[in-house]
Amino acid sequence: MTLPTGFGRKFPKITIDYQKCTVPFACKQCLQICPMLVFSVTRVMAKEQRLKEMDPRVDGNYVLHAVRRDKCTVCNKCLEVCPVDALKIEVP
Amino acid sequence: MCVLCKEYGDPNVAGGIWYLNPKNHARNMYKLRLPGEGFKGAEAGLETGVRTGPTIADLLAAAEEGDYAKYTKFKQEMQARGQGSQIVPLNDADRILELCSPIGLIGCICRRDWRAIDERNEHEYTCMGMGVGMLKWERWPERYKGGVKFVNIDEAKEWNHEMDRRGFVHILMLFGAPFIGGFCQCDYPDCGALRNAVDFGVGTLKSHYIATVDYDTCNGCGICAQRCQFGALKFEVTSEKANIDMFKCYGCGLCESGCPRKAITLVRRETMPAVAEVWT
Repeated sequence: MTLPTGFGRKFPKITIDYQKCTVPFACKQCLQICPMLVFSVTRVMAKEQRLKEMDPRVDGNYVLHAVRRDKCTVCNKCLEVCPVDALKIEVP
Repeated sequence: MCVLCKEYGDPNVAGGIWYLNPKNHARNMYKLRLPGEGFKGAEAGLETGVRTGPTIADLLAAAEEGDYAKYTKFKQEMQARGQGSQIVPLNDADRILELCSPIGLIGCICRRDWRAIDERNEHEYTCMGMGVGMLKWERWPERYKGGVKFVNIDEAKEWNHEMDRRGFVHILMLFGAPFIGGFCQCDYPDCGALRNAVDFGVGTLKSHYIATVDYDTCNGCGICAQRCQFGALKFEVTSEKANIDMFKCYGCGLCESGCPRKAITLVRRETMPAVAEVWT
């Protein structure tokens, strides 16, 4: 049975301020600096259209999620690199 | 026997391995979605629809609570819902590429999701789409950014061997079983399929093989240890040889194809009763 690291442990809580983080794919700072690949960026499915590519520079086309917060070591590299101060990490 | 072989394998064809059964590459596997039927064929996959049921977030919440029963239940639901994928070593990959058509090189969706890397031309592509679904790629340019490069069997094999040399694990992807729609070149941790398999034991099945070391031939060069993505193979200091934990081995064959002395061989999983049914 494969269990995530530290089963029963409280994982860090990562909050993303979507008012500030609007073009995560174009920015990609946190995504590329995170040593544990906590973040994931996906296109907003509702905005996708057939025969049309989405521009990553347009607000709200892509959305950032802290999917694998179990992997976060709270090294705070993402906080340092975020140009819009959109991230907050709470240690449980 | 792996769950996919049970359902889609034929004992009289290619030793019962499902992906070597030409039937599963056949054109009629692909069809348009009828109302209420769910996603099938190339319409399935990441580009369409929202998946229902538990997600990684739910798994993590259960893990945080330390609720083993809930965690197991979510895992089983995710496994049952999964469209299926399996790790395939290089030799079998060559045989698969002879069965499917067309074959197109495309950008990797996982690296885009996890590292925001856009592979926008044929020199950057690290993923392979296959089967008739590829012919409609133009419908979803957002998924196939930079387009698709269609290749013939020899080009596809050569490309696959190059990916193997670089150290990628080959994972065969089903989009609405048994429709085989893609051949991913995966790397832990930026591959979603590989990551879920290694971290949670969800999704991708291990291959039909297990790597074994011939201690007489192995000179302990350590190249294989650099190539293992699963923490299954290490350099054993005491004996100065490669050591493989066969319970952890996913049978991807990267150690085998990287060994300069051919000291590592893949054997069928079924030949070792204790690991014969260890698929995740």
